[in-house]
Amino acid sequence: MSKVDPAVEQAVDTLGLNPITRRRLLKGTGLASATLAASALLAACGNDNPSSGSAAAAGAGDFPSTPKWKFVFINHVTTNPFFTPTQYGAQDACALLNCEFQFIGSKEAIVAEMVNATNTAISGKADGIAVAVVDKAAFRGPVDQALDAGIPVVSYNADGAPDDPGTNRLAYIGQGLFESGRQLGLRALDSGLDSGEVVAFIATPGALNIQPRIDGAEQAIKDSGKSLKFTAVGTNADVVKGLSIIDAYAQGHPNLAGMLAVDAGSTQSVGQTVAKYSMRDKGLKVAGGFDLVPETLAAINGGSLDYTIDQQPYLQGFLPVLYLYLYKLSGGLLFPSETNTGLLFVTKDNVKPYLDTKTRFEGSSTEQQVVPRSGAIAHA
Amino acid sequence: MGDTVEVAERVEAAPPGRPSRSILRRVGDEFLRRREASVLIVAVGLGVYFASAHPAFLTQPNLVNISRATAPTAIVAAGMVLVMVSGEIDLSVGAVYALAPFNMHYLVDYYSVPVIPAILLALLISAAIGFANGFITWVFKVPSFVTTLGTLNLVIGIVLVTSHAYPAPIPEQAAGRIQNWLGAADWSQLLWCVLIVGFFHLVLTSTRWGLHTVAVGGNLLGATEAGIRAGRIKIGNFMVVATLGGFAGIMDAFRINTIDPNLGGGTSIMFAAVSAAVIGGTALAGGSGTVIGAFLGALVLAELQNGMNLIGISANPYFLILGAAILISMIANVYLSRLRRAGRT
Repeated sequence: MSKVDPAVEQAVDTLGLNPITRRRLLKGTGLASATLAASALLAACGNDNPSSGSAAAAGAGDFPSTPKWKFVFINHVTTNPFFTPTQYGAQDACALLNCEFQFIGSKEAIVAEMVNATNTAISGKADGIAVAVVDKAAFRGPVDQALDAGIPVVSYNADGAPDDPGTNRLAYIGQGLFESGRQLGLRALDSGLDSGEVVAFIATPGALNIQPRIDGAEQAIKDSGKSLKFTAVGTNADVVKGLSIIDAYAQGHPNLAGMLAVDAGSTQSVGQTVAKYSMRDKGLKVAGGFDLVPETLAAINGGSLDYTIDQQPYLQGFLPVLYLYLYKLSGGLLFPSETNTGLLFVTKDNVKPYLDTKTRFEGSSTEQQVVPRSGAIAHA
Repeated sequence: MGDTVEVAERVEAAPPGRPSRSILRRVGDEFLRRREASVLIVAVGLGVYFASAHPAFLTQPNLVNISRATAPTAIVAAGMVLVMVSGEIDLSVGAVYALAPFNMHYLVDYYSVPVIPAILLALLISAAIGFANGFITWVFKVPSFVTTLGTLNLVIGIVLVTSHAYPAPIPEQAAGRIQNWLGAADWSQLLWCVLIVGFFHLVLTSTRWGLHTVAVGGNLLGATEAGIRAGRIKIGNFMVVATLGGFAGIMDAFRINTIDPNLGGGTSIMFAAVSAAVIGGTALAGGSGTVIGAFLGALVLAELQNGMNLIGISANPYFLILGAAILISMIANVYLSRLRRAGRT
């Protein structure tokens, strides 16, 4: 062991392996050790997290010494850039509290794969689980099993259907999805949408991380009583395919009065399509959507999108770790609390700082930094 | 499975010159001669590695996890081996896998068909899609890659349109015993998988149908001239894989307790099944293959996924490591097969 270069050891630490694996890895035995080492080094190279390598003798801050608790995040689109800040949030919270996390699930929203990952986390005796409940029936059993095994479970980002959280999780950390969709629609009505055709795009219809939003938007439009024709159109989890669907729809419906989208990919594609066909000059009154991917922010700045809604994905990684940690630390006395991670409209007026600063909080940078701000805080 | 390996290991351990050596050696040779031997060694090797890497790997609940990740892929792969051995491929099976549970749901909830007949009807519809694949491929001479690419999209379209792309609940009448027997209970998927794999292994190795399948895939002209009705063989095999795809889809829906229109995006289970078949030793070009090998291939894939989740590898590096692990395991597999062939001469 002593012959191992400290840099390698540090890199291996970033993998967050259990002691046996780590020892075998450092000794260079075992089938996957070479690849593991390679990936650890890669991860270490692309990762400036200063505390990831430090071993913990005492507890974090004033806290007593705790085991290195491991929390598992079950996600529906593990490689989607939307969740990059979520992973940074979890990583930062873990660095703060001297615990570790794992981010697994499905790459393309396959519920069976997510259920498999949840069950593996349970049999692997995770210390806490955060799950994006994108189906209102599939996770009930696994979550109950985890709770039965004494593993605290929270949901994040998605929480079943509006009328049924779908699991017995302790709390939900994320946006109020139906309400955020309603706000999307209300904002469109406020922006002068009063008659004509409105289309709303959704990447994966039926997936409960976004379906409630489109239901909420439809509700808002219907409740307004205005003569608006609302159509929901499915695009694709793959942004490139989604773009061509939205493009085709725009060509086929030149008289659209409003274009909405309820997921990051569709929103950026709406922005691109509006710009491509200069739809602003052809009677399109309002275009808006969700999330803060760079293309969307550019479209807001350029005027092809009116607004986008920020749901603070960083907090959806940071807070679950914090809550699960406190639950473990307090022996269950500190119960995770329902948290709405926000409903912030980003418009041309306040888009500047998002465009100018690259931060971990938006997933646009890996760097740890203090972001300065000045001036008054906008309020109503 | 474990016994066979033990035998193989004992062969190596046996000191030379003993009288028992020749018998053990023969048993060992017999084992190594089997096409599935190398992938079995890889599967066991991975198991040993992950078991030593994480104490939870061999616990009962985790073995259930592995069995559930293996079974649907292996069931689809059993049919895929037949199709591939007969010289074709079926890309549409993942879409059938998504459609079958919806058909069951429609029949039960909208047409008041009892659950078991509804499942059988859903399987019949799956078989009909397989028939269409085979028919178009054989009669219209469209390459099966293209035929099934067409039906893949067509069937995904049917799933999305009829379900409004919205997940459906498991029919209430199926909840309880039927749901448990068909996928929800701990070992039920593995049980079905073993039955199906065993059955189709026998079909491929010991029946006329299997012989003809190999003949048609190995040498189509020769087989037809020898009087084998190649069209019937190919169409039949397409029907087998589609039916198995539908069955795996229904079982997975029962297991996760929801009918998901996005089951695998239509391609993920198909891709896994083809991978399992090829990893297990089925030739992409047709003419040779083994159903048990495909089962072991599915097991290898499931072990990799489960083991890496268990030892704490997150999603992004996972793909990097999975890719490398597949390459390493398969290099080992090919190397072992070469040893096997060398041993035979």
